[in-house]
Amino acid sequence: MKITLGVLLILTLGTVPAWAVLGQYESSVSVDQEYLRSEDRVQAFQAYKVHQLTTANGTIVREYISPQGLVFGVTWQGPFMPNMQQLLGSYVTNLQTASPAQTHVRHLRGLIVKTNDFVFVNGGHMRFWKGSAYVPSLFPSNVSAEVVR
Amino acid sequence: MTLRNGSKATLGRFLALVTGLIFLGGCGGSSSSSTTSTPAANNTAAVTVGFGPLGATGGYVNGIFTSVTVCAPGTSNCETVDNVLVDTGSAGLRILNSALTTVPASSLGTITDSNRDQLQECVQFGDTSFAWGPMLVADVELAGEKASSVPIQVIGDNSFAVPSQCLATPVNPSLPNGGNEDTVATLGANGILGLGGFGYPLDCGSYCTSSSDLTQSGYPYYVCPAGQACSATTVPTQDQATNPVAAFSSADNNGVLVTLPSIPATGAANGTVSGSLIFGIGTQSDNALASSATVYALDEYGNIAAFTYNGISYTSPTNWSVLDTGSSYLAFLDANTLASVGIIECADASGLYCPTSTIPFTVTALVAINPSGTGTMTFNIMNADTLFNTNNAAFNDLGGDSGTSPANDFFDFGLPFFFGRSVYIGMMPGVFTGESSAPSGAASATNGYYAF
Repeated sequence: MKITLGVLLILTLGTVPAWAVLGQYESSVSVDQEYLRSEDRVQAFQAYKVHQLTTANGTIVREYISPQGLVFGVTWQGPFMPNMQQLLGSYVTNLQTASPAQTHVRHLRGLIVKTNDFVFVNGGHMRFWKGSAYVPSLFPSNVSAEVVR
Repeated sequence: MTLRNGSKATLGRFLALVTGLIFLGGCGGSSSSSTTSTPAANNTAAVTVGFGPLGATGGYVNGIFTSVTVCAPGTSNCETVDNVLVDTGSAGLRILNSALTTVPASSLGTITDSNRDQLQECVQFGDTSFAWGPMLVADVELAGEKASSVPIQVIGDNSFAVPSQCLATPVNPSLPNGGNEDTVATLGANGILGLGGFGYPLDCGSYCTSSSDLTQSGYPYYVCPAGQACSATTVPTQDQATNPVAAFSSADNNGVLVTLPSIPATGAANGTVSGSLIFGIGTQSDNALASSATVYALDEYGNIAAFTYNGISYTSPTNWSVLDTGSSYLAFLDANTLASVGIIECADASGLYCPTSTIPFTVTALVAINPSGTGTMTFNIMNADTLFNTNNAAFNDLGGDSGTSPANDFFDFGLPFFFGRSVYIGMMPGVFTGESSAPSGAASATNGYYAF
């Protein structure tokens, strides 16, 4: 059943210009891999799996997969800020809705969004960007949010 | 796709060639170079801290501003632009098109490819804001220092639409104009003077010289042929946005020293705090590396390699860091981690800290090279709402979240960190020829350094 869904998802993604990963099935990782032209290394832990995509310029994207086969977190690090639509998919809407207003202050280096359904941290300086996003409700049981790093 | 990549790489080579010609023309066209022995340059620019040009209602606290003189290259046709944000967290000078009046952008040098298409940049910042506009060549003067034929970005020139590859980062609707820094109203300044507080004087470096990264989201450099979409292009380092300090003709080109006075815990009124931006480190009598200062080498990412706080280890690159005059608060750790010491977030969901009483912090940096060992970074955090209610514009104790846990926290030591300190920001040696060497206490810092 899960496999069928995965195949369906690939077919769907093949015809839609948006690349979506966070909250979707593991098979969507391969779309990112193709887009980033990266190597994919998979680490398996007891309660989750991690795909690590590494590009030639040193950009590293990690995608965290639950036993249900869903991407519950992503992290990024590299010389350029990644395409958030590609990594976050529909969760970009959560980001846009919950971004804090910068009243009184200016914080040129980072953006932090913290809601019950969605957590996003991005920041850095030129030539070095780092960030992570995850969906608390999709975490495997007994797995801490801190594994997404 | 492959074909387009191939042609883009070719454009890059032409860019190098054409710019070489521009530089040659600049030298030949002007014979004003001085031949007498020159006294040490005035290496001190005044800075003021406050709300900036938008004032108390539209501006932001802890803005730090200076004046920058921009000249048509090789001429005495110059204009001084005030209210330029001093930003040690970025590299390169970016000036609003609207701020250039007597020396308009059209009087500056151009960087073009073989088709005479001008080089454009879309530079992104960590809050997902961005600035878009042409790269132009200017002579830049700061205090008595001069950098000739420096590539600068003129932003808010709307000749071409922002490329989708740049805007692919989500538009943050809470930022003015969706994050497009194209006017005084959105930037809150007339420009950004990026002094490269992570050791490196260019905004892209080797990542923009090879065609392999052209398709990456967030790639900064473009050309926009008539009637076509803008396309990413490679750019030799000499045409990239450059920290003007690194290009100074004087010896004061190896870093900057930022000094700001101490201010009261409840802040200081708009325009009452002034300080200095002193160019060079160990190059004149006024910028010697103080023996009381601790020197921290930066790692390959431009970060301090490791910190500890309250027994928790924070290491680069997971937990990155920057000494950042361009941000108005100390973004460090997070309210979850700091709940035990009394940090709570303000009620308005701004992510700022609103503890009920002032809380002192000591963060330990583990990589001091002189004296070798560890050093501490100490500061206080006060209730942000209380501070804003004073209507003051400069605060040394304003803080907020950097993340949500030690897995994603960072250390963005914004302007509050700089009050009452002399902070040296030393550039990575060897990027520019003619760069003065670092003082002996920082000689081993191959990626640049901080000292304070």
